[in-house]
Amino acid sequence: MSSLFLLLPVLFPIAGAFLLFFLHFPDTDDSKRNRYTEVVVCLTSVLVWISMAFVSKQPVKIYSFVRGFSISLGLDGLGRLFAGMISVMWPLVTWYAFVYMEHAREKSKFFAFYTMTYGVSLGIAFSSNMTTLYVFFEMLTLVTIPLVSHYKNHDSMFAGRKYAAYTIGGAGLGFFAVVMTTLYGDAGNFVFGGSLNGGGTATGLMQTAFLFGFFGFGAKAAVFPLHGWLPTASVAPTPVTALLHAVAVVNSGVFAVTRLTWYIYGPEALEGTYVQITALLVSVFTLVFAAVMALRERHFKRRLAWSTVSNLSYMLFGISLLTTQGFVGGTMHMLFHGIIKMSLFLCAGAFMHVTCNEYIYEVNGAGRRMPLTFLFYTLGGLSLTGIPMFCGFISKWNLVMAGLQADTPWSLAGVAGLIIAAFLCAMYTLTVSVRAFFPSAGTDRYEGEQGIREAEKEMLVPIAVFGVINIVLGIWSAPVTEFLSKIAAGLL
Amino acid sequence: MLIFLIVFGPFLCGILSWLLGRKNEEQRDWFVIAVTGAELILTLLLLRGGAAARIPGILAGGLTFTTDGFRMTYAVITAVMWAGTTLFAKEYFREEREHLNRYWLFIIVTLGATEGVMLSGDMMTTFVFFEILSFTSFTWVIQEETPGAVRAGYTYLFIAVIGGLVLFMGLALLSFAAGTLSYAELSEAVAATERPELVMAAGVCILIGFGAKAGMFPVHIWLPKAHPVAPSPASALLSGILTKVGIYGILMVSMNALFSYESFGFLVLILGVITMALGAVLALFSINLKRTLACSSMSQIGFILTGVGMMILLRAVGSSEGAGTAMSGLMLHMVNHSLIKLTLFMAAGVVVMKIHVLTLNEIRGFGRSKLLFKIAFALGALGISGVPLFNGYLSKTLLHEGIVEGIHECARYSTALSVIEWIFLFSGGLTFAYMLKLFICIFVQKNRDPKRQQFYDSDRRGMDMLSTIAVVGSSLLMVVLGQPYVATHLAAFMNGYEEILHFHAFSWENLKGGLISLSIGAVVYLLFVRKVLVREDSYVELWPAGLDVILKPLCRAGMFLWTCAVRVFDLSTDGLIRLLRKTVVREKKVKGRKSVHPGLLRTMSAEISGGAEPVTSNFTFALMMTCIGIIVILLAILLSWRGWRV
Repeated sequence: MSSLFLLLPVLFPIAGAFLLFFLHFPDTDDSKRNRYTEVVVCLTSVLVWISMAFVSKQPVKIYSFVRGFSISLGLDGLGRLFAGMISVMWPLVTWYAFVYMEHAREKSKFFAFYTMTYGVSLGIAFSSNMTTLYVFFEMLTLVTIPLVSHYKNHDSMFAGRKYAAYTIGGAGLGFFAVVMTTLYGDAGNFVFGGSLNGGGTATGLMQTAFLFGFFGFGAKAAVFPLHGWLPTASVAPTPVTALLHAVAVVNSGVFAVTRLTWYIYGPEALEGTYVQITALLVSVFTLVFAAVMALRERHFKRRLAWSTVSNLSYMLFGISLLTTQGFVGGTMHMLFHGIIKMSLFLCAGAFMHVTCNEYIYEVNGAGRRMPLTFLFYTLGGLSLTGIPMFCGFISKWNLVMAGLQADTPWSLAGVAGLIIAAFLCAMYTLTVSVRAFFPSAGTDRYEGEQGIREAEKEMLVPIAVFGVINIVLGIWSAPVTEFLSKIAAGLL
Repeated sequence: MLIFLIVFGPFLCGILSWLLGRKNEEQRDWFVIAVTGAELILTLLLLRGGAAARIPGILAGGLTFTTDGFRMTYAVITAVMWAGTTLFAKEYFREEREHLNRYWLFIIVTLGATEGVMLSGDMMTTFVFFEILSFTSFTWVIQEETPGAVRAGYTYLFIAVIGGLVLFMGLALLSFAAGTLSYAELSEAVAATERPELVMAAGVCILIGFGAKAGMFPVHIWLPKAHPVAPSPASALLSGILTKVGIYGILMVSMNALFSYESFGFLVLILGVITMALGAVLALFSINLKRTLACSSMSQIGFILTGVGMMILLRAVGSSEGAGTAMSGLMLHMVNHSLIKLTLFMAAGVVVMKIHVLTLNEIRGFGRSKLLFKIAFALGALGISGVPLFNGYLSKTLLHEGIVEGIHECARYSTALSVIEWIFLFSGGLTFAYMLKLFICIFVQKNRDPKRQQFYDSDRRGMDMLSTIAVVGSSLLMVVLGQPYVATHLAAFMNGYEEILHFHAFSWENLKGGLISLSIGAVVYLLFVRKVLVREDSYVELWPAGLDVILKPLCRAGMFLWTCAVRVFDLSTDGLIRLLRKTVVREKKVKGRKSVHPGLLRTMSAEISGGAEPVTSNFTFALMMTCIGIIVILLAILLSWRGWRV
């Protein structure tokens, strides 16, 4: 099947979302709108799976602006990983969102933008040159701003603006890299291992362009100093923070940096240059710094958002090591962190939905009333720390081994940073579990309170699914490792 | 197959017991007794012959299990400990039935994890099961959910997580430097490595990681807090087995990887000696029965670590005979200490379940009329103090013998080792002194409140049938293992060092060391405990609390400064924007209007900001507009200028 088919999964949800605007489902009529949204989302996932199974590897050019700058779509290994990941997550979280958004206003608008984001994210996964990636990247920012500001109170309006300023400003930086690589590279086409400059070290200007690209696209991956929007944006509804600010949007940042590093420049062009060292040091700094910030944060979801900042830099660290193991570790952490953070955010959301509380000290004793939710939260926390039996351990092990094998001072500093951040991670996730399950005498906030119990099954099922995937991949990770090694060998 | 049943069976049975307990608590209690009994039988079956098992492909590199003398012995000891404490728990938990289902779930799961560690065939397997038991045993500490228990639980969790991650680091380093983590291949791989400094770094990480569970100085801080607050059967397991899991790891890495690293041996030795002396001093000062036993555990772990250090040192200088002696001593002392602490903590459990207090002044005279209880406790005390004919004597003598060998063989360290020999004997003396203190307090002295003494004397058994079997049965092992024939054969079985069979346990040379130690203990008891620690006929707490007072604010201050620093970084971007607004792009108030932006821009800005006062309204908006502008211009250029070439 031709790559032209890829247009379908990209455009279908966008079209479906536009239709949602015109169908005028009233806010009171949940069931019809929910059914419509879920059908659109599920069909999109099916389309994604069909294209993953049948579409050929050859990218297809759809529109050409001028020689070099063109929109073209294709499906390679990394795109498969990203598209496959979100295609499984989207239907589940949409289902969760139906319950979570029950009492919100303007639900049609919310679900329209939510579904539209799906199509745009797929566009990022399927794009096969820098121009296309950039176009979808900007679109992603634009369609998610209404989602961040959905509640329209002071905080969320502010968050929306901050988000826009950081990511559009970031993309502005990235644009420099897009233009430079398109003009002076192989028309910005993605080729594993890079195609710049015929294999030698990149020239000075191109190195600078890389730096622009790293920070520009890294803004969505919340790399210091452009990390500020992510914790602020956690005022958004939980389905948004979970799916977009833990997976789709932030991972698209990492995804773009991976494309730039591995598919445009390539290891040879950057190995040992000052830009590689900068990238490594910045990501190591971010991952430790954000972990400390998470530990001092008292707001439940903002704490998790800081933890996302920290974990995104794990991935950037792995990618910037420029070794095959680093690539495998980084992309694996992209997948596994997505699963873990999704389950953590959904648990936090269930807690907030049931109790209407949002601070850590208000968790005391909640685990007694919502044991399953907090059980899965604890499993997610252990996984994120890197305890064996859970998938976070596998990716951290790979990252640490990659850091050691790279064997430069910078990568060793990164390994030390990883361990410190992992320790802080245990502190900021597990203290919540301990509070939830073992409130010390007299601090149980829900003593004698009626009506605090497990959330509805529409919320519990997605939580449980992610919890189970977390354990299954933790014990049996061989297929994932094999798949990523194949990508890293340039086979997919 | 048998190994899988031993390791994974309890995981399944734990969940079964939890489900069963929701229906019927009585049946659940018998079920867990049956499970631990079955586990004991299975591990005994393991003794028939060595076996190895492997599950490839899962986790990071598969799980492997293997058996040898040491592993099999410890698999059996683990099962014995669990069977003993489970029998005892039947009576112990008769009244306190809260959260018992959770307790049993985690106890039984931890049994599986512990057997997994004991039978592991590579470092990764050890690590996996070690982490599982680290977290499952957390629930033992916090079981009673008192404020003290929650505090101890946090400390335990803190240390467990640090330990786990440092261990993770160590494993990664070792795997990188040696290329393998399998115990069987490790010694050759380490000998061939080009990066010995990384192996050393890995060794230190692994030492700290496992040492955290063993209660080694300076990561011992959880131990004196956690053991007293846990339920007594769980304390017995924490002290008897979980500390040994830590030792197991240190021993495995020392025997298989770092045996030729003299400096590593010396490090272990020094940390061991500090732990040994510190634990003994803390135990002497403590006036709480379980805390004394906990500190005593720490001290005994120090004895074992001293043995590990001596073993590495002696092996590094090429004295296989000395290394064999030290190894036999430390392995025997591990076994002895496990069993002794099983007895003693269960004895403490008897006190707890009868009168619910633990301070020495209140439990004074508790055991005066309880003969079986007295005998059991006395056997434990005699064992741990190293009195000849009881088990501790033999292992301590062997450890002492190891140090003496070291003074002759390791010329570089001979002065240090002479000092260590005396610290060793002195710590042994302190062991005798604090056990004497406990014994005299509980079984000889009368309570100062005659009514209470009468109450104590009215109960002549103190325990029911099952508990008596558990406590007295385990205490009899002290005598059995005190026989040189049994002990030396056990040691030879565990480490394969046959010459140990010809060891003369009761030669004058060896007796002398024990006797010096015991007389030091007697002197300390008479001159220090009776004169200083007992005031007006009551035991007083004299240990300065100052250490905690200094350490805690220091930690807090450090954390505070650190968070301040990162807060500055956090604000750097937003702060820059604020700074710019105050200087370069300042808003001017013009005749009551807030902003100088005219027309469209201002309207759109107000539209987006929705009236709320933003930090970045101008700057953000300008930035956004600039970007959009750039895009438009660029698109125009691209679309119009077809002839553009690079």
